[in-house]
Amino acid sequence: MALVKSKSGPAAASMEPVGGDVASLLLSLSSDDARARRNAARELADHPQAAMALCDRLEHERGPSVRAVLFTSLIRLQSPDVAGRLAMHLRSDDAQLRNGAIEALQEMPDAIAPHLSDLLNDDDSDVRIFAVNILGALRFEEAPRLLTEVLRKESHINVCAAAVDALAEVGGMEAIEALEELRARFADDAFIVFAVDTAIRRIRAD
Amino acid sequence: MTVEEYAKFIEFFYRKTGIQFQENKRYYVERRIVERMEKTKSESFRDYFNLVRFQMDGQELQLLINAMTVNETYFFREDYQFQALIKGMLPSLVRGRDKRHALKIWSMPCSSGEEPYSIAIHILEFWDQADLWDIEILASDIDSKILAEARQGRYGARSVQRLPAHLLSRYFAPIGDGLYQIRDELRDSIDFTLVNIVDKLQTGRYRDMDVIFCRNLLIYFDDVARREAAEMMYEALRPGGFVCLGHSESMSRMTSLFVPRKFGDTIVYQKPSSAE
Repeated sequence: MALVKSKSGPAAASMEPVGGDVASLLLSLSSDDARARRNAARELADHPQAAMALCDRLEHERGPSVRAVLFTSLIRLQSPDVAGRLAMHLRSDDAQLRNGAIEALQEMPDAIAPHLSDLLNDDDSDVRIFAVNILGALRFEEAPRLLTEVLRKESHINVCAAAVDALAEVGGMEAIEALEELRARFADDAFIVFAVDTAIRRIRAD
Repeated sequence: MTVEEYAKFIEFFYRKTGIQFQENKRYYVERRIVERMEKTKSESFRDYFNLVRFQMDGQELQLLINAMTVNETYFFREDYQFQALIKGMLPSLVRGRDKRHALKIWSMPCSSGEEPYSIAIHILEFWDQADLWDIEILASDIDSKILAEARQGRYGARSVQRLPAHLLSRYFAPIGDGLYQIRDELRDSIDFTLVNIVDKLQTGRYRDMDVIFCRNLLIYFDDVARREAAEMMYEALRPGGFVCLGHSESMSRMTSLFVPRKFGDTIVYQKPSSAE
């Protein structure tokens, strides 16, 4: 007993087939075995034509570990169509699915860009907050301008607060006027005043 | 850099990497930023920070991370995790387990071998059940040259300086020129293999691991590669198995697949026992 070397070595240990043609991988997405679904989702990241099938699977998938791999593969296959399908989950009551979609969308700036305007103008304030959260973490040069627009047009205080928070990190001098206007608009709200002052101080430090 | 600039930078860097620098590291951080500013010909901190934040391929962020991290390894580095292995993880793993099933521990990247040998020494010295179980230690790295060094098992005084004297004499032999040769019995008990963590074909061969040590590697990866690496470790582990990351790394920033567990002074990440 104690320290031993594997008799078979890692190369032979429970080796499973990897790969396969797209049709069989798509079939495996519906397997009863979660590992088979994960393997299929992982392998399909190499096949752009499978992107919509992965989006379809995400709508039915309940296994957290399979969902995680589906999101990762969709990040690899990102496109405006994929981002549009993922953005639909921002309305989901399933917090894990919703958060997974937000995290995935934060990884695809070019793909989500065409949808940002619609999301920032959505009727649902929660969707607008999630859109601001996405925007604040995107590698996207337009992010500060779009967040500044949110400050000017948005009436919901929680959406504005999310935008101030994001601008504290990614904003530039051009955001200060809009931040000051927001502070005047919500002068009675101690949190907004504090958040705006913090954001302005950070931006001026640049 | 002003105080506000520094605060903004370290917050950004923490969000991207999980690495947190305090005010007392300011000189260290600033020096490396200035070096990168010179390399990128940035005229101001603001120019450089915009490059790091908005560059589409994230290359400069990666180079900055490389500059900020130190690739130093030595025996018993961050040994509170090895203590957690002995006192927390292994007892948890063997509870109700059939003794015919070997315990499997994977160290990757293993670099020049200090980590897997330290794991082995801790198990032999400090785990009272070591003799009751078959324990396999696998050690992998992407760098074939460093793997050859690990297999050779020859170390300088700096590498072994944290080893207590009695362990140094028990497991090493001095071979002159300040070098120490690890004893054959220990060296031969570890499987060293060449593995690229992002190669699905290669990592797909690693299954049924009980503990994975993957320390100070993922900080070099971009976000999606980190997710993939975390998912690879999930596949490689048995249900209930553990992942140990570096002290500045956090699995919760990569994936929600694992459950954080605190053992002593360290947090490790467990694949749920009920995982499919």
